[in-house]
This record gives sequence, C-alpha cells and structure tokens, in this order.
Amino acid sequence: MEKYGPTRRGATKRPADGGARADAIVVEDLGRTFVDRRGRGAGEVTALSGISLRVAPGEVHGLLGPNGAGKTTLCKILTTTLEPTTGSARVLGLDVTRQSRAVRRSIGLVFGGDRGLYGRLSARENLWFWGAMYGLRRSELRARAELLLERVGLADRADARVDTFSRGMKQRLHLARGLVGDPRVVILDEPTMGMDPVAALDFRALVAELREEGRTVLLTTHDMAEAAAVCDRVSLIDRGRLLMTEDTDAVGRLLSRYERVVAHGVSAGLADRVGALAGVVAVRHEADRLEAETELPSATASVLAVLAGEGVHRVSTARPDLAEVYLHLVGRRGMAVT
Amino acid sequence: MSLFMAALRFQLRLAAHSPGTLQVWATAPLFTAVFLSIAEHADRTDLTSFAVVAPTLMGQWALALGIAGELIAEERSQGTLEAVIATPGRLSVIVVGRILAVSLLGVTTMAEAWLVAGVGFGRWIAVPHPVVLAAALLANAAAMAGTASIMASLFVLMPSARIVQNTLTYPLYLLCGVLVPLSQLPAWVRPLGRVVFLSWSADLFRAALDEAAVSRPAGRIAVVALLGLSGYLIGALLLARVLRRVRRLGTLTHT
Repeated sequence: MEKYGPTRRGATKRPADGGARADAIVVEDLGRTFVDRRGRGAGEVTALSGISLRVAPGEVHGLLGPNGAGKTTLCKILTTTLEPTTGSARVLGLDVTRQSRAVRRSIGLVFGGDRGLYGRLSARENLWFWGAMYGLRRSELRARAELLLERVGLADRADARVDTFSRGMKQRLHLARGLVGDPRVVILDEPTMGMDPVAALDFRALVAELREEGRTVLLTTHDMAEAAAVCDRVSLIDRGRLLMTEDTDAVGRLLSRYERVVAHGVSAGLADRVGALAGVVAVRHEADRLEAETELPSATASVLAVLAGEGVHRVSTARPDLAEVYLHLVGRRGMAVT
Repeated sequence: MSLFMAALRFQLRLAAHSPGTLQVWATAPLFTAVFLSIAEHADRTDLTSFAVVAPTLMGQWALALGIAGELIAEERSQGTLEAVIATPGRLSVIVVGRILAVSLLGVTTMAEAWLVAGVGFGRWIAVPHPVVLAAALLANAAAMAGTASIMASLFVLMPSARIVQNTLTYPLYLLCGVLVPLSQLPAWVRPLGRVVFLSWSADLFRAALDEAAVSRPAGRIAVVALLGLSGYLIGALLLARVLRRVRRLGTLTHT
C-alpha cells in the first residue's frame, strides 16, 4: 500500500531500499489493549491492533480517522507516554520503550484544544518553563522563546496570561511549545480542534514551514480537508487498525469519487432497478426509503434520471463521510475490520 | 537554565497568582496566638519560642505537602502532565523544585509568628544564634521539599491520595516534636520521630532561639539535609516506578 518516491509536494523522497533505516518513524505490528473495568468484571479493549507504518524524514504524514479510531493512542506510544502491548515503534531509530528518554529529546508533542498549557502564566513564561525541560541554557532558551513567539504571531501578547487567550492563540502557543526543544519529529494530535477557519489556515501555513525546515510531522485529524491541505501522505485508521496508507491526492480522489443518493417514496422494484445500474455499488431499501452508493459521477446521474422518470422527487445527494469511504476501501481491498 | 531552578521560579510565579497557596500566612498567626495563649495561661513564658517554632514548621509542612499533591492533580486537570512526561525533563526534579519554592515562601511564616509574639503578646524573642537559625531554615526547607516529593508519586498512582496527605499533617506534628519536644514525648514515640527530619528541625529552631550554646549545630543541620535527601531519593525512585507503571497500564491521565 505504501508508495515510495517523491511526494506531490516534492519534499520527501524515500531511498531506493524502502528507507527502512532512514525512516523517521517506524511502527511494526503495534498493538495496545486496555483493561476495561467498567461494568461487571474486567474485559479487554483493543485500541490498536497490528499497526505497521513508516514515515520518511521530512514527511508530513496525516493519521486520519474518526474519534476513537486509535490515533491518539498511537501518538501516546510514539511520545513514550504509553507503552505498547505488542509490537514495536521507533522514532529516529530509537525504541520508544527501551530508549524512551532519548526519544523524548527528539520529539515535540502538540495537543489540540484548550488544555496543555499553564493558564496562570504568560506565553513567555510558559515557553521558558517548557524549554527548561529540554535542558536549554538560559540565554538560548530566552532567545528561542522570543523567536517562537514571533513566529507564531504572539510576540505582542507574550506577557499576557494564557488563560486570557482565544483558542486560536492557545493553539499557536501549543505549537511554539512543541517546537521549543527544536525537535526533529513533531507530533500534532488534533491540532486544529476547535479552531476557527482563519486560525486553521494560519496553522496549515505553519505546518508547511515545518516541512520546509525538514522536520518530520505526524498529524492526527479527522478532517479530510485539513489532511489534504498539509500532508504528503495519509494513513487511514479505524477501530485500531490501519486501513491504508496513500498519497494525499489519491485519498482525495477516492473521497470525491463516491456519492450517495437518498430518495423517499421508492418501491422495492424501483430499488432493484437502481441497484442494477452501472456504477451503483450498494443499495439499501427500508420501507420506501432508498439509499444508493455510487462510484462514478455518471452513475449518480443515471440514478437520478431513473428516479425522476418514476416520479420520485424527494431526492438528495451527498458525499459520503470518511467512515463511509473507509467502508468502500475495506470492501474494495478485502481487508477485515473488526 | 537548570530544570530545578526553572521549576522553582515557575512555582514562585504561580504562587503570585495563587492566593490558595498563600493561605498559610493567614493560619500561622492564628496558630501562634493560640499556642502563646496556652503558654501564657499556664504561666510558661519560657515556651514562647516553642509557640513561634511550631506554626512555622506546621505552615511550611502544610504548604509542601499541599503542593506535592496538588501539583500532580493540577497538571492532570489542565492536561499538562502528559506533555511534561513527553519531555526529557525529569518529573522528580520538577516536583522537588516546585515544592522547594513554596517551602522557602513558608520560611516567612517564622517572621510572622515572631511579630505576633512581639506585637500581640509583648514577647519579643531574641535570636542569639542567627546563623544557625538561617542554616537550619534553609536545610529544613530543602528537607521539606525532598520528603514531600514522595507524595507526588502517590498522586500519580492514586488521584484520591488526599486521604494519605491529610494523615501526614497533624499526626506528624505531634509525633515529630513540632509542638512538644521529642524528649518530652513517651519513649516509644521517640525512635519514630527521630527518623523524620521535622524533629531535628524543630529542635534546631528552638535551640537557635535559646540563649544557651547550640551543641553540634553543623552535624544536626547535616542530619536534616541528609534526611531530606533520603526523602528526595525515595520520592524520585517511587516516581520513576510509578511512571513506568502508569505508562504500562495507560492510566497516566486518569483522574
């Protein structure tokens, strides 16, 4: 499933040997289970199962999936705050379990949302403290904090308390915090969660800068548009399993390829006719409601024409969401999803 | 900047925005007044210095123990604990630096208690051995930080460790000679009190405020420092083990 060679942005190239030694992130058959103590008796919940993934140095890699897919669990393992149950993960060749301290020197972690900062301190004080955790000397730390504040557009508010910041400003500070240790690998966990569209656009520009600096970025998101805008490749993950890894363009094409037609007042016979049309990949019919999944733009037109010809006027079309595309992909590629 | 100093400064900055941390300045004068009233009522003016020493140690220990637990709880609730753990910085160093900051702030409660004795009761206490007192105060603040850091590991493991925290306040004051010198307590209590730095600190403070020469001050200060260092090492070891455990179980962010 993996594609090697130049990405569409030309930023990342994999060596001819597949880049096994040079990869910034190597995840092999990774699994993580949790003991679920809710309810009667203890059970096991599988958060990740058999995940294998490689991210090249300098690549911006998107980890796409719905909430609860396992994206954050993978980030936690890569940032050494959680140990895997099975398999292994390496960052810049360092094992996240056995060489966790060395891994932590090389990574920067950025959360989304309001949490993860000291609200009663100023932006500058936050960066001083976080920088000290990376062992930066005082002069170096202060200079870097100023640079980062400038870079994320917070220089004017550097001395304001963080709990007076808007969500977008906090997110920019999050990114500055993640970069204060000058990491070679940056892990962005839902970084634009709750951001307004303008702030999200600014954030994308910052991610592009990280790529230009040659940093490796792993970005988790459930927003396909965001992934398409900033990532070189994306991996789709659902229910703890990796469904596919593709160039961003390829996944974007997949998304735009499928369409859904929903109609009311449809008889069973008419539903069968629709199901028989070329390019219709799935049909669900309950009572008088029809839901048809199409794979080609021409198929949608055919379905609409048939329905209109039979006097069905309560019709709507929509793009499937990411989860539905996953299902298409799973069906097409014959992968099992539990 | 060393992480230890950064953590210390960080906590001092936080303290300026955290009136809750500073509540000890409200309670120390009240404790001083109560203890002095008891001493006056019993016609034991010779115990005036005891009434100044006890609120100082009680205030400092309450601050140190409070911050040891709350800093983990706060880090969890504001979502910073995981980010801290994901940095190469040692959490034990951050914890001890932050506790030391409040312990040092707590030193000022002695001045407060001293003023209450003088202004409120007309008992101006002389300080015949200021160097010993200053050194003992510093060693005690460090020992407070080292020993209280043990609590932090309990809070990482059990967010409900506040019960343990509460049991380590008043019983310790009583058993470690903070209120009454260890030598005045039953013999069976003394060995227990002697392994806790508080008893050594309390004796040193009282001796520094007494006209008589302080016997073996350097050695006694060294004991306070060593007991504090032992506390820190135990705390750091426990914290490392607890962090390994929560990483394995995936309970780091559980509240």
